[in-house]
Amino acid sequence: MNVHVHPTQEFRFMRPDDGIKQGDPLLVVDNISLSFGGVKAITDISFDILKGEIRAIIGPNGAGKTSMLNVINGFYHPQKGTITFRGQKRSRMRPHEAANHGIARTFQNIALFHGMSVLDNIMTGRITLMKRNLLWQALWRGPAETEEIENREIVERIIDFLEIEHIRKTPVGRLPYGLQKRVELGRALAAEPSLLLLDEPMAGMNLEEKEDMSRYILDVNQQFGTTIALIEHDMGVVMDLSDRVVVLDYGQKIGDGTPDEVRNNQDVIDAYLGVSHD
Amino acid sequence: MSPAFLNFIEIFINGLMAGIMYSLVALGFVLIFKASGIFNFAQGVMALFAALTLVGLQTGQVPFSHLINAIFGTDIHDWGPGLPTVLAILLTMVVMIALAWVLEKFVLNHLINQEPIILFMATIGLAYFLEGFGDLMWGSDVKTLDVGLPSGGSFWWEDVTRAWAPEDADYWGMYIDKLDISATIIAVVLVTALSLFSQYTATGRALRAVADDHQAALSVGISLRKIWVIVWSIAGFVALVAGIMWGSKSGVQFSLSLIALKALPVLILGGFTSIPGAIVGGLIIGVGEKLAEAYIGPMVGGAIENWFAYVVALAFLLFRPQGLFGDRIIERI
Repeated sequence: MNVHVHPTQEFRFMRPDDGIKQGDPLLVVDNISLSFGGVKAITDISFDILKGEIRAIIGPNGAGKTSMLNVINGFYHPQKGTITFRGQKRSRMRPHEAANHGIARTFQNIALFHGMSVLDNIMTGRITLMKRNLLWQALWRGPAETEEIENREIVERIIDFLEIEHIRKTPVGRLPYGLQKRVELGRALAAEPSLLLLDEPMAGMNLEEKEDMSRYILDVNQQFGTTIALIEHDMGVVMDLSDRVVVLDYGQKIGDGTPDEVRNNQDVIDAYLGVSHD
Repeated sequence: MSPAFLNFIEIFINGLMAGIMYSLVALGFVLIFKASGIFNFAQGVMALFAALTLVGLQTGQVPFSHLINAIFGTDIHDWGPGLPTVLAILLTMVVMIALAWVLEKFVLNHLINQEPIILFMATIGLAYFLEGFGDLMWGSDVKTLDVGLPSGGSFWWEDVTRAWAPEDADYWGMYIDKLDISATIIAVVLVTALSLFSQYTATGRALRAVADDHQAALSVGISLRKIWVIVWSIAGFVALVAGIMWGSKSGVQFSLSLIALKALPVLILGGFTSIPGAIVGGLIIGVGEKLAEAYIGPMVGGAIENWFAYVVALAFLLFRPQGLFGDRIIERI
């Protein structure tokens, strides 16, 4: 594993403090139900994510994990229940509004802009933070130019942090899978999120890549204080990384607690070993 | 150089310049198709509508005057001497932006997540609506459009090229329309400006992002609705430029909207998703049909210019359905 230096001091998150104290609930999911036609994807699920923690969402295939993330960032609108984020209660939200409020995410099947360079991809992450209007941009002068340069500097630091300097100008579509995952993380980080949602950040990776990714996730959490919710199948990784784990099965919550509590929960063991539901 | 060869060059150059005009229309299609996956059947009518509005403002026509006169029995036609050209162009652009906004608000916004074919049909409806609306607003008579671009043959070029042929040859120089030259220059400036904008600005980046992946674009906080208004406004601007060029050349009339059909083979050739493709495709079609008319035409009795482009497109569909530069569709199985 290669050694890297963290640019801690100059790379701090500038999003104004959201007024939530460390350890208080940042996001509260309350009695959420979601169905597609007759298929129930999520049934009455409640849990919370505390500021500053790494919260894992686990469960067998089809348990409703990704649906849960999609509800949180506004891709799906639940039929029932509310979500309280940074003290504001809401029942539905559009994805770009969620992004504007400080929720960034990555996807299970990488959703990068394949035709664009790594640099451009990560720059798109800062769109919600770039406010200069179209006219200035069209003229490419004054405020828009300054803004572009400032944002570019921050993006360069993220690129440093993720050790992807050598591929800055490469179109993302040409990169191997592991690096694409890293670029996607970079794009999410560029938004300086209050809450970072990672959907299977280590799926399809080899051991070394998994170790690298785990290290980045821990660094992001510890150095920048970013709250993280992640879905992951690799139990070793989940137990090492996360502060608390929520377990879903067939769209219902069957366990919630620290990794140790969850590991010893009989319902969870049954779900994973495939004991029949009566 | 022999006169025969000089003739060939003349036809070639004229073909290139006709091709630029096709490219301009095709460009409008590509912009919208890339950003929203909609094949905008109304692009040609948008060019017509923009040109009508421009002429109307320039000549000081009262909008809907026929309708007003019919209802109230009045007899009004003009409100004054009309606006200066620059102001009229700016105002027309404002109208095109307003059109984009209205379209997003009342049509596209209600069709989010629908099948592409449904959106396509909506644009067919839009084409008929705009056509009728344009007629109602400005009248259906043929209008001349003059924005002050130079037109007519270039004598200078004729003199220069006459000297290239042998002294005793029966050759009188090449004919090039100055309007075509202006159109070429404007098209080059337009395409350069558009590509600079999309490469180096935050909004341009957002446009490319939306064109690449809708879902990912949403997740980083791009508002699709805002982007669509911008894209349709840009397409409106391109339509305005195409409308000015074609309108100056052959008058502002209904047939202007049919240039959209000429853009179709250009798109098949260049690929629906590629801006360079639209340009190169336009040039190939322009040159191809002029050369075919001049050299193959006499063998079959002429007038093949009108359908030659479609035959080329058909041949392309057989061998390279994604076009020269289009995205190849690879299905993972």
